[in-house]
Amino acid sequence: MTGVRAPARPERAAGPAAAAVPRGMLRIGRLVAVPVRRRSLVIAVVLVALIVVAAVATLSMGRLGIGPGRLPQALLGGADGKEAFVLERLRGPRLVVAVGTGAALGLSGALFQSVTRNPLGSPDVIGLGAGAGAGAAVAALFLPGVLPVPLGALLGAAVAMAAVYFSTGTGFRNPGRLIVAGIGVAAIAQAFTQYVVYVMEREAATVLAAYVNGSLAARSWHHAATIWLVLALVVPAAALIARRLDISEMGDELAQGLGAEPKNTRVAAVVLSVVLAAGAVSVAGPIAFIALTAPQIARRLTGGTGAHLTLSALMGALLLTVADLAAQQLPTATSLPVGIYTMALGGVYLGYLLVREWRRKRL
Amino acid sequence: MSERAESGGEDVRGLSAREVTISYGGREPVVRDLSLDLPHGGLTMIIGPNGCGKSTLLKALARAVKPDRGQVLLHGVDVHTLRGKEVARQLALLPQSPLAPEGITVRDLVARGRYPHHSLLRQWSPEDEPAIAFALERTGLGHLGQAQAGELSGGQRQRAWIAMVLAQRTELLLLDEPTTYLDIAHQYDLLELCAELHREGRTIVAVLHDLNQAARFATHLVVMDAGRVVAQGPPQEVMTAELVGEVFGLRCDIVPDPRTGTPMVVPHERAVPAG
Repeated sequence: MTGVRAPARPERAAGPAAAAVPRGMLRIGRLVAVPVRRRSLVIAVVLVALIVVAAVATLSMGRLGIGPGRLPQALLGGADGKEAFVLERLRGPRLVVAVGTGAALGLSGALFQSVTRNPLGSPDVIGLGAGAGAGAAVAALFLPGVLPVPLGALLGAAVAMAAVYFSTGTGFRNPGRLIVAGIGVAAIAQAFTQYVVYVMEREAATVLAAYVNGSLAARSWHHAATIWLVLALVVPAAALIARRLDISEMGDELAQGLGAEPKNTRVAAVVLSVVLAAGAVSVAGPIAFIALTAPQIARRLTGGTGAHLTLSALMGALLLTVADLAAQQLPTATSLPVGIYTMALGGVYLGYLLVREWRRKRL
Repeated sequence: MSERAESGGEDVRGLSAREVTISYGGREPVVRDLSLDLPHGGLTMIIGPNGCGKSTLLKALARAVKPDRGQVLLHGVDVHTLRGKEVARQLALLPQSPLAPEGITVRDLVARGRYPHHSLLRQWSPEDEPAIAFALERTGLGHLGQAQAGELSGGQRQRAWIAMVLAQRTELLLLDEPTTYLDIAHQYDLLELCAELHREGRTIVAVLHDLNQAARFATHLVVMDAGRVVAQGPPQEVMTAELVGEVFGLRCDIVPDPRTGTPMVVPHERAVPAG
């Protein structure tokens, strides 16, 4: 072990708080020992329960809904014709896509916000989602069958992030520059998306809405498989870098001194964030502000520090599921894309953040 | 892979630089062809005028900056052939302006010093608690474990960072201007703490601005100028009026410190033009 000797003056009394603070510990034999904050665990359980409640509500509300009493039987194969249609074609895939996409956006936001050390350094604020949307639109409408949509979204996202990275002159470090560059890139990407949609689909306003705002209408199991595959690939990788990411938030030199390799960690986090955002956009369009708000709400709930990857993902899933429930059930505007709702609510939150950061003179 | 220091009889314990050159992005090198052996078990202070490359050298010694040429050897092994955590279990670096995560408690901050001793699946070790308690106690923060790091005074915050690197339980401590931003009483508190830790067996290397403090506390003084080491040795031998004049451009007398006898710089008053 390390060659540190015992304190020369043990009498110098340790204060009461220096005694061992009891902590929860996830232990599996001798191999695994991961400290888990009790509060985080409780919040995670509550979030999962709320997601289940929102999911049940999604399947059971409205004219075609399957009542909660019928739901277990219907899910276990006892569905009649109408119920089977609702579960397998209409709401089932849409719900599964909503949960997966929300989780992907929440995780994507948590990763990017940790890298930029700023809530505003979020994929939806700095044009990552818009870039992916433009890429997806090109792939789906200009080059159908040539370039798969997820790949188009990935390319679009990568191009947008490269544009932001190089146009700030300081990479992702300065939040003020990041936001200005991001707004520019997002505007260009959205204009490009609108142009593509306009050229290809003059008639279909709903198609435009889906590509510009993001929508979960008419999702299929194919979409569900895409986003959950992305999650299956990215989540383990994110778990690998989670701790290093927390350490890297303390500054490069300190993190390097602790052996956390901050530069590699940052690159990995940005790549994972881009893949997640591209996956989300390719199945649901550029849904705004889930990536911005989910990690922030998670952080405020736990009161702890760090990137909160798990809770951000769960919070994202909950937010998008609830937003889509509203999109489906609110009587005022049937078939309004879910992205409009997230945009309206998230926009208010973005405004609040901007004012707060400006008051603290961090912008 | 493991590069042994030349000449068989030489002690390979400790930290040394071998012909190290460092530049940032193709500009003029900040450190040039620098070779230096830091005495193992010593309290070394590196001094020099602003921009002489002393902080850069310290970062290179801690593996936080990669030299363009040359090697940094830790116990005879090139640090860049070692894994980051492996180095971090033997050597701790406290940089000039670390960032405390928002809302973190002092204890959690100090606990992050245990990171190099953890692995992906074992993010805990039985030595964590004693190490953290020891670090808090030695820095006088035992009663502030649950306080928010962001709400501490400047002196307390600096001690919290020192506690974090102490919790790392390394035999080597590298500190980059640890007394900056502290008022004078806290500066001496911190230097006394360094001296104590050194007496207990740690090797300490610190970059310092104040020549008198450096001369008073160091067992080994390294003077840098323009990316090179211009003098090193015991403070009594190194600190001369000629050296201070040459390196810092300050005309001065060197007198013994009335309390410790270590060399003390007394600058000459500037000649006031008559009229």
